Amino acid sequence: MSGHRSHSLMQWTRRSCQCVFLCLFLYLVMLARWGGNEPSPLLALFFDFDPLVSVATWLSTHTLAAGSLLSLITIAVTLLLARVFCGWVCPLGTVHHLMTWLGQRGRRPRVRESRSPWQRLKYLLVVGLLVMTLFGVHWVGVFDPLSLFYRSMTAFGVPAAHYVVEDSATSVYRADPKVGDWHVTSVTEPVYKFFRDRVFFTKRQGFQGSSLIALLFVLILALNLVRPRFWCRYVCPLGGGLGFLSQWPALRLENNADLCNNCGLCARVCPAAAQPDQPGQWLKTECFACWNCVATCKQGALHFTLAPPIRKPVAGKMDFSRRAAVGAVAGGVAALTGFRQTPLAQSKVFEPSLIRPPGALPEREFLQRCIQCGMCMRACPTNALQPCGLEGGVEGLWTPRIVPKVGYCVYDCNLCGQVCPTGAIAPLVLEEKKSVKMGLAVFDKNRCLPHSYGRNCIICEEHCPLPKKAIFFVEQEVTLPSGEKAVVKQPQVDPSLCTGCGICEWSCVFKDRAAINVTSANESRNPGNIAILGDAYF
Amino acid sequence: MSTTSSRREFLKQGALAGAVTLGGAAWTETATNAAGPMDMAIARWKGGDSPVSDIAVKLTEQAMEAIGGMKRFVSKGDVVWIKPNIGWDRTPEQAGNTNPDVVKTLVRMCLDAGAKTIKVGDNTCNPAEKTYVTSKIGEYAREAGAEVVFLDPNRYRDMDIGGERLKMHPVYPEVVECDLVISVPITKHHSATKMTNCMKNFMGVVEKRQIFHQDLPTCIADITAFMKPRIAVMDAVRILTANGPTGGDLKDVSQPNIIAAGTDLVALDAFGAELLGQDPKTMETVLVGEKRGLGVSDYHSLKLKELDVA
Repeated sequence: MSGHRSHSLMQWTRRSCQCVFLCLFLYLVMLARWGGNEPSPLLALFFDFDPLVSVATWLSTHTLAAGSLLSLITIAVTLLLARVFCGWVCPLGTVHHLMTWLGQRGRRPRVRESRSPWQRLKYLLVVGLLVMTLFGVHWVGVFDPLSLFYRSMTAFGVPAAHYVVEDSATSVYRADPKVGDWHVTSVTEPVYKFFRDRVFFTKRQGFQGSSLIALLFVLILALNLVRPRFWCRYVCPLGGGLGFLSQWPALRLENNADLCNNCGLCARVCPAAAQPDQPGQWLKTECFACWNCVATCKQGALHFTLAPPIRKPVAGKMDFSRRAAVGAVAGGVAALTGFRQTPLAQSKVFEPSLIRPPGALPEREFLQRCIQCGMCMRACPTNALQPCGLEGGVEGLWTPRIVPKVGYCVYDCNLCGQVCPTGAIAPLVLEEKKSVKMGLAVFDKNRCLPHSYGRNCIICEEHCPLPKKAIFFVEQEVTLPSGEKAVVKQPQVDPSLCTGCGICEWSCVFKDRAAINVTSANESRNPGNIAILGDAYF
Repeated sequence: MSTTSSRREFLKQGALAGAVTLGGAAWTETATNAAGPMDMAIARWKGGDSPVSDIAVKLTEQAMEAIGGMKRFVSKGDVVWIKPNIGWDRTPEQAGNTNPDVVKTLVRMCLDAGAKTIKVGDNTCNPAEKTYVTSKIGEYAREAGAEVVFLDPNRYRDMDIGGERLKMHPVYPEVVECDLVISVPITKHHSATKMTNCMKNFMGVVEKRQIFHQDLPTCIADITAFMKPRIAVMDAVRILTANGPTGGDLKDVSQPNIIAAGTDLVALDAFGAELLGQDPKTMETVLVGEKRGLGVSDYHSLKLKELDVA
């Protein structure tokens, strides 16, 4: 084997593979939106293959979605080939890889990447998170790389791209520059319309708190300048979890000590600090199998070989002691008990602004499933679904809620439940969905025009999508400022019909604080929060 | 308007006339003065049970023919904006939006009349991406050769409406820049104005319209006067009789099988009011429109052609 060439071929194969998965991931992000027909069944593909998500969901709910069985493939592949997922598949890993490459500006780093005790952080994190999951706190999504990447793209990446396209096209449209008789818009407009109608399709989205999500994303990307693939090496709980499975891999790096001249090139290009330069001390649970070391070695001393997994690999040990395990478990328990000591977490009170999407499970069960990926928010055609800050407690960070001021729940839409990768939002059929109450509208009669200012309005009633209208009006004689009498239509809410979709609040003429507001009161999913007697129960 | 008639157009007219005859239209003119083109035509379906799409297509064609054909309004090379009501996420059966076959037929007729580009679009209430699909108008208009336009919230421009209530107000420039705008509403019950029809349909070319609701009749008259409409086609194949403008319950839908076309939007609105069982003399939008000189409410006083189509 003419070693060198085939090894760099492996590198290029790996890079192509990374590109394909990154593009597929981004394509699926773009695809997760209302598009006029049934959503693609592939939207949750990456989450289905994510063992951290499926194990965590299984631990918290003791159930397993059929799709998540695909993660067994990832587990099997990892048992055989160690962390190839990190090196070859993970789209966030690929972005980190790119950032590392950009940071090095094509130059090889000058020092060997040496093992650091901090690399055990990811093992502590995954153990801690899974312990929390066992008690029903699904914080895995905060750190899971696929969830994190998806959320960052939804909340920031896609809206930013949309903004650039839309605003630049609109600026050209407004200015309408000409070269002789030729309008620049004759090129920019068709291009813009292509993006508008084929790529983005829905109106530009915006998300509350997206700056924080974006900032964290930029931060973890910037950390690649500190250490190559910083996130993957030190933090990533999925990488940590896969590390646990990489104890007896069939794919092994062998360093031929007879050929090695200890130049250290391999350790300089190793993004994982997996000690390829130390014969017999290769760190199997750290290595991404990226082939950089093999391709760089001028002596031909490094080779990946396939050995039967029953033979114990000659390699460095995973840095995870019993003491560390106890610490991780204790940390997880401490975090979850910390999260739980609020009136909200104890279900003694309900947060009025925590209006969950239709089909969302009861709060506790919802939190046991939601991985904060943001796919529902991406799919919502009115941008109604927004990431929570602390409205749902620390546990509910970045979980979805309806903010009617921004958007409303479309009566004939159940997309959020259809795309949800973990079933936190149940995939209700439309007829079922229409009967779900998400909250209840209440008038602020001190602001409402017909109630307070003697003017006609009833936009809310006009927009109410229920065939029998959950808002009705009473004709009332009022006195105008001039002293004249007039009859106006004063709207009222019928609580037995209102579903809390929020279109009334969204359409209200008052844009700062609407004169009709939806709160989570009367939501079907939480019996403790139901306020209306009678036919409101179903 | 083009004054010369090419051979191709002549043949097309001949073919159309033939189709009309074969279709079995019986024209009963009620206007006292039949000279010159008609102001308004009411086409009623008398063909018994037929698919709604066939009814809509035939009624649209013949109502338009009766007021002088599309060529009366469209010149060669024109850019035409067809403005249906596509406001709500409702199916054609629920009668929340204009019938898609009516839109399709008008697109075809405009193209046949020599129009260069037909644009179809509305400032919708529910997301346009959804209403264009559910109403089927997007699909049908595109198939007929129109450009389906999603109104871009950033592109509205403040324009001098010069109305009683509305002075400077954001209007969608692409609509105003067209050579012809055809208002194609569906006749529906409306909780605030009792009816939404031809004039109110223009609320779909402006933004910031929530404030209209404090004095809808005046604002609607303002915006109609600003748009200077030359023609409207009123879709009453299906109408929504209660719980408008959204509807949703099929019990609130009736099927009069009527299309009216005309140059007087006040008159068309008065006729629409009658279809909804209202007295036009109590319709504030009609009264204000008439007072502002936008048309007459007594549509019988116009050159009116009523035809039965089978």
